[in-house]
Amino acid sequence: MAEPMKIRATLQGDIADVRILFLHPMETGTRKDSKGDIVPRHFIQNVAVTHNGKTVLDGQWSQAISRNPFLGLRVKGAKAGDKISVTWTDNKGDTRTDEVAVAAAL
Amino acid sequence: MPRKQNSITALAVVCLATWGAAPAMAQSGDPLAVGRQMLAEDNPGELWIERGKTLFHQKRGPQDASLEQCDFGLGPGKLEGATTRLPRYFPDTDRVQDLESRLLTCMVQLQGFNRDDIVKRAISPAGSNGSDVEALTLYITSRSNGMKMNVSLSHQKEYDMYKAGEYLFYRRSGQTDFACVQCHGGANKRIRLQDLIHMTDKKGVQEVVSTWPAYRGAHFVVRTMQWRLSDCFWQMRLPELTYASDVSIALTTYLHYQGNGAVIKVPGFKR
Amino acid sequence: MNKTWLKWAAVSTPALIALGCATYPDQATTRQVAEKMVSEDFTAPTPALLKRLVQDRSQQVCSKIGDAKLTQEEAAEVVKLARDSIRYPAAGKLVGDWKVGEKLALDGAGDRIQGGILEKRKENGGLCQNCHALAPGEINVGNVGPSLTGYGLQRGNSEAIAKLTYERIYNGWAYAPCSNMPRLGATGHLTPEQISHMVAYLIDPQSPVNTK
Repeated sequence: MAEPMKIRATLQGDIADVRILFLHPMETGTRKDSKGDIVPRHFIQNVAVTHNGKTVLDGQWSQAISRNPFLGLRVKGAKAGDKISVTWTDNKGDTRTDEVAVAAAL
Repeated sequence: MPRKQNSITALAVVCLATWGAAPAMAQSGDPLAVGRQMLAEDNPGELWIERGKTLFHQKRGPQDASLEQCDFGLGPGKLEGATTRLPRYFPDTDRVQDLESRLLTCMVQLQGFNRDDIVKRAISPAGSNGSDVEALTLYITSRSNGMKMNVSLSHQKEYDMYKAGEYLFYRRSGQTDFACVQCHGGANKRIRLQDLIHMTDKKGVQEVVSTWPAYRGAHFVVRTMQWRLSDCFWQMRLPELTYASDVSIALTTYLHYQGNGAVIKVPGFKR
Repeated sequence: MNKTWLKWAAVSTPALIALGCATYPDQATTRQVAEKMVSEDFTAPTPALLKRLVQDRSQQVCSKIGDAKLTQEEAAEVVKLARDSIRYPAAGKLVGDWKVGEKLALDGAGDRIQGGILEKRKENGGLCQNCHALAPGEINVGNVGPSLTGYGLQRGNSEAIAKLTYERIYNGWAYAPCSNMPRLGATGHLTPEQISHMVAYLIDPQSPVNTK
């Protein structure tokens, strides 16, 4: 049930300021529901960001990261129109990829 | 993956997150203000807008129809600016209605949904994916982003609703002896660490009317004005406010009219 | 406003609207309309709980709209009703255990209604810290009410102070009619015994509130 991300990439000089919002339960596996049963672990394990196909960030996440997380990064050597692509994979094998073009500074 | 590598990489990610965002901040010094600005700039609630848009155009319900013919006051399907004029009188229902009550009307009449069923699920459980009503309310309101609140009172029922809302804003009851004004009638007030918006002040009430629906961080879902009103009555130790009831519409009419001129900017971000 | 005028207004309103002459209703009409809404637009697990919405005389007087002021007569009436409402603990002890009072002061829960269920616990929280600063150094405090830090240090812990403090918590409107302070004892949110513990929390020299 992979939900789309929201990605913004704005140019500041030759640096792309990239901001990503994820929709994911990021369930720790220690929480109990109203019936008292453990809610199973369900969290993003890997996040990869590429710039024109080249990997610029490869992150291993744990269940410590909160629900509906935010990730921000700055990518050097970017130009307007460059492709920023984000892929996440979770512990259930679910995966999602979204991409945007770097927008020129206003 | 070895644990140590996990935490180092995670730390790098977190550092990137804060370092990446911080230099864009105009404020310096006050960490609360910096944090609030970060949350305002990258609000998970924005992800609900796309959901709401999909739901709006999707054929749903027993009548297999979309909401594209729903009239929010500016004509069927006209969304831009619609929420700046709500609540307002609708001749077809002969009532003053706010956005959520009007959405309810359309979901029942156009799509054939059962009203009680919608009301039951309108306010989603915290930590869930959110309800269709929450996503739709946010999407429709977002179509007025950047526009000014512009509620007008011209029909008699609109005047009546406004005055009733004002009366209710000051109506004290229950074991707490609270009306809205007890908590929202002064400047720079807070309950514990939760700031209370000063609603008898123009700027304060403008903030209220321009930032709902909002992402409620602690609930991980988008919340609406209907929810916010019912949650206040909960804290006041009063009975439960009925969803899309006249009391809720009266209070909303009062606040929105008082907040005229506010620039809509949703989703808001609340703790 | 007499009835004839109201009848005339009701009949002629549609005509006036057609002319674009809709107007603000008068206070009596607004009150009627709003009270009808209140009686219809709330639910509760039991009919008794629905009665929480019914205003008592003092609440009616104290629901002034906007800048409307309390008249001298109204203030006197509210003060008298408040005075008459005060009940003391059965054993007569106005100053209880500050440790129990501390727990109550920090407790903001109890007696709320949600999803058709009443939040019933052994006792209601005092809600104090929601609005008041109490023990020094505590950050998670509200400011809707004045700071009570050093309350006992400033006033001492005489019998007179104990009685005054007790009464201000039980029904503060006896001293400040229509204040924002809930009439915690008079409305039944707290018991006299609970209030005696809160008095101790405020005036006992050993209480954290009075840390020098």
